[in-house]
Amino acid sequence: MFAALDPSVGAALIPALFVATAMAFGLAALSAAIARVACFSPVLATAGGVLAAAAGVGLVVGAGTATASGGQVLGLTPMALHYDGLSGAFLIALGLSSAAASLSVVGEKPRSRLEGIAYPLFLMSILMVLGASNAFAFLLAWESMALLSAVLVFGLRPSRAVVSAGNLYLAMTHVATAAILVGFALLAWATGSLDFAAWHIAVPSIAPVTRDAALLLTLIGFATKAGAFPLHIWLPRAHPVAPSHVSAVMSGVMIKTGIYGLVRIGVDVMGGGPDWLGLLVLALGGISAVMGVLYALMQHDLKRLLAFHSIENIGIILIGVGSAMLLQAHGATQLAALALAAALFHSINHAAFKTLLFLGAGAVVHATGLRDLNRLGGLARKMPVTALAFGIGAAAISGLPPLNGFASEWLTFQALLGAAGTVAISPALRFAAAATIGALALTTALAVACFVKATGVTFLGLPRSSAASTAHEATKPERAAMALLAFACVALGLGAGPAASALLTVSRSVIRVDQAAASLPAVTSGPRTGDVASYAALAIGLLLIVAIGFVALLVRSRRAARRVDTWTCGIAPKAAFQYTATSYAKPIRLFFRRILLPEREIRVEYHEGTHFPASIRYRSEITLILEDRVFGPTHALSLRAANFARRLQGGAIQLYIAYSVLAVFILLLWAR
Amino acid sequence: MNMLDVTTGATAVAMAAIQLVIFVAFAPLLTATIRRTKARLQSRRGPGLLQPYRDLAKWWGKAPLESNASGPVARHAPAVVLACILAAGLLVPFAAGRAPLGAWGDLFVVVGLLAAARFALALAALDTGSAFGGMGSSRDVAISALAEPGLVLALAGVALAAGSSDLGVMSMFGLSQGIGLLGPAHLLAAAAFAIVIVAETGHQPVDNPDTHLELTMVHEGMLLEASGRSLATLVFASEFKLVVLATVFSAAFLPFGAATEFAPAPILLGLVVGLVKLFVVGQVLALLDGSVAKMRILGLPDLLGLASLLALTGLAMQVLLP
Repeated sequence: MFAALDPSVGAALIPALFVATAMAFGLAALSAAIARVACFSPVLATAGGVLAAAAGVGLVVGAGTATASGGQVLGLTPMALHYDGLSGAFLIALGLSSAAASLSVVGEKPRSRLEGIAYPLFLMSILMVLGASNAFAFLLAWESMALLSAVLVFGLRPSRAVVSAGNLYLAMTHVATAAILVGFALLAWATGSLDFAAWHIAVPSIAPVTRDAALLLTLIGFATKAGAFPLHIWLPRAHPVAPSHVSAVMSGVMIKTGIYGLVRIGVDVMGGGPDWLGLLVLALGGISAVMGVLYALMQHDLKRLLAFHSIENIGIILIGVGSAMLLQAHGATQLAALALAAALFHSINHAAFKTLLFLGAGAVVHATGLRDLNRLGGLARKMPVTALAFGIGAAAISGLPPLNGFASEWLTFQALLGAAGTVAISPALRFAAAATIGALALTTALAVACFVKATGVTFLGLPRSSAASTAHEATKPERAAMALLAFACVALGLGAGPAASALLTVSRSVIRVDQAAASLPAVTSGPRTGDVASYAALAIGLLLIVAIGFVALLVRSRRAARRVDTWTCGIAPKAAFQYTATSYAKPIRLFFRRILLPEREIRVEYHEGTHFPASIRYRSEITLILEDRVFGPTHALSLRAANFARRLQGGAIQLYIAYSVLAVFILLLWAR
Repeated sequence: MNMLDVTTGATAVAMAAIQLVIFVAFAPLLTATIRRTKARLQSRRGPGLLQPYRDLAKWWGKAPLESNASGPVARHAPAVVLACILAAGLLVPFAAGRAPLGAWGDLFVVVGLLAAARFALALAALDTGSAFGGMGSSRDVAISALAEPGLVLALAGVALAAGSSDLGVMSMFGLSQGIGLLGPAHLLAAAAFAIVIVAETGHQPVDNPDTHLELTMVHEGMLLEASGRSLATLVFASEFKLVVLATVFSAAFLPFGAATEFAPAPILLGLVVGLVKLFVVGQVLALLDGSVAKMRILGLPDLLGLASLLALTGLAMQVLLP
């Protein structure tokens, strides 16, 4: 039906969709402010999300653009928006995630009115970030996004732990903004303009040193926001403390704005940097992926586990972006487009399954009041819909065919293999790409382990606490939201062929290469001809469905199953006999002990005068090497330095006058 | 007809059906030959070659038992496990240089399908609330995580040389290279993959396929609560997985003997050679089973890390040395 539309009608539709999206988010904020209509706020935000996704699809498929600019303030244009295919890809992520997250809280009262207002505005600020077409507008939207998300993290009456997490988040996000600001200032100084389009035209005239410095600074900023490994420390602390639907959008979309910024500035505007920058991004990606999933495996707080998994997925996306930059720097532009398409696809896919998993975790927290996996279990019986949806999300994030996560990881593997095989780049860089294949393989296998643990320990087996045994199913809106996202995971998986080819078109226009098809490895729907590697997503999906159905029919016994107790060596089964999240991760904890530096403590108390234990306490912790060994000591050192500096502040007026005199004296000496 | 590009439509379906039937028929036999050799090495006579078939038939006829703790996951997981592994079997070239459904997916799809099977089985093992299930499941996913980089890197090395990650292209490339294929990089990758096969199929020194000593079980631990047709399905799936992995090995690393043209005689020859190669891989595993002691689980990172390192060295030679 839509294909029959006149293209110009479609082009006119897209700006209208943007106006409608912004209005929906704005009205949602407004209605949240008025108590009598506050209940409409999530509905409006949901509508905004749907509209944003529609606009994104329009931009990606139609490859059109939408532009708007507002009035000038002091010679600056705070409202300069330009949405293109690249924005469109991230708009789909925003739309999917925010529509489902908002839907899940329909009919629920927010923790506070402030939160109700801040949430739609937060979504709006992301919408603005994705379209900002000059540095000023970008930073304005970026900072609004940072502050509004901080408001959502803090809530109205934060506990001490929340304040500490929130402060860390505020500090890190401002480090990010500062780095981006300085980077942008360098570029503005070199080009005499704030406009991204003008920067792009002026790129050849920028001195390489300035360009590289600006790229490095923006990379630091964007990688911090994205939560890439050495700069990630805020993420696992800030995400879990926010309400679940907010955590979902933060993990699903907000950290992706860092990726968006990196691609927009590094790949699109600056047309690629030096090759060491691409290598750096590739390395950041590989390290984030492996470390993210290793730390996620060690968590037994469900939301914290999911937050660490965001670091892993950002790593996978960065591997795609890094390969794209590396290949772009050496002129292998078609392969670069493939790598970028992989990154964009994984960004959208991650928005779908991470939002789903956070909403599932939220439903579990509502139902049991628990986030500790070691006290959950057996929830599938009480909340089957949540369990099924969470299971689909878990399979998708683990990169299993035929779901969406596999398709984008397949593309990432192909991009790496292409980079390792191309003669355009130097052997050392090719080896780096080849080695990253190993890191990615390790990551996906560890992700399987992690999500078997998260799903199995939460939903299967016997309940490990009374709260878990008396759980109840999620609310209707929550179930609807999770069903929507689970459907998206399946649809993006089976429809990966068209989705990937549309995103490849977008990537090619971002990198500015010929749209005419070079024979690249491709996700297709049906079998292809020729020698290029392919993944026939729809065909494999249907094959699996048919095969599972057939085997299931065959296996189903005509005789009814007899119910028996699980074999526990002759004793009556107890929930405590089951593996917990901590014990499940033990082999991996020991395998990677040199990285994870685990500690354990077993304290046994005996009955008086016997060898029968009265109580056994077991504690097992890992060392977060960066936090405990780098940031912690640095923090302590700076506090000590500050304490020392305090001695200078004697409080006596004579002392301060003496300082002034001394300063003047030194200045005079220096100026002589 | 030169290359086997005709594997679309009806031909593909026919080839898929033939390959499926052969794999299904011979998978238990492969296990039987391994057990037989292992028994001989231990100076036992061992069960007859038909014993795995008899076992499957016995379980197939039994009434199922289900744990009070378990639900739909444990009930339906066996079908998912077997379906994923069967599908993977159709993507691997066996008798010819091209797989029946080779145009549907490449080596990463095969790896992905095996991961999906592992996911379903590991999850089902947690559904029964058994400590042994958890033990097997947690060990299995951990060992597979260690094995995965070696598996993928070894295959990536061949893919890099062949210019495509399509297993059919890789196999045809090997056939076109003849004996010259067996360069140092190729042999390193093959060695890495061989170690991975041992780990992935649960043979010594990683796992003992015949053990039922509770504290040392890996794969068997996950099957402990399965019964009747579910047990038969899962056991058969693991026998089938060995066939798939051994076929991937021979297609990527030793494709010699496979048909390069689409005619009855070469295909038939390829079939026979393929079965012989399967038998040889099985005998090597049996030799290991009979002669090597099981490693401590903490020693596995060294063994499987070695596989990854070998594969990575192979890749380095390919990329860095002109």
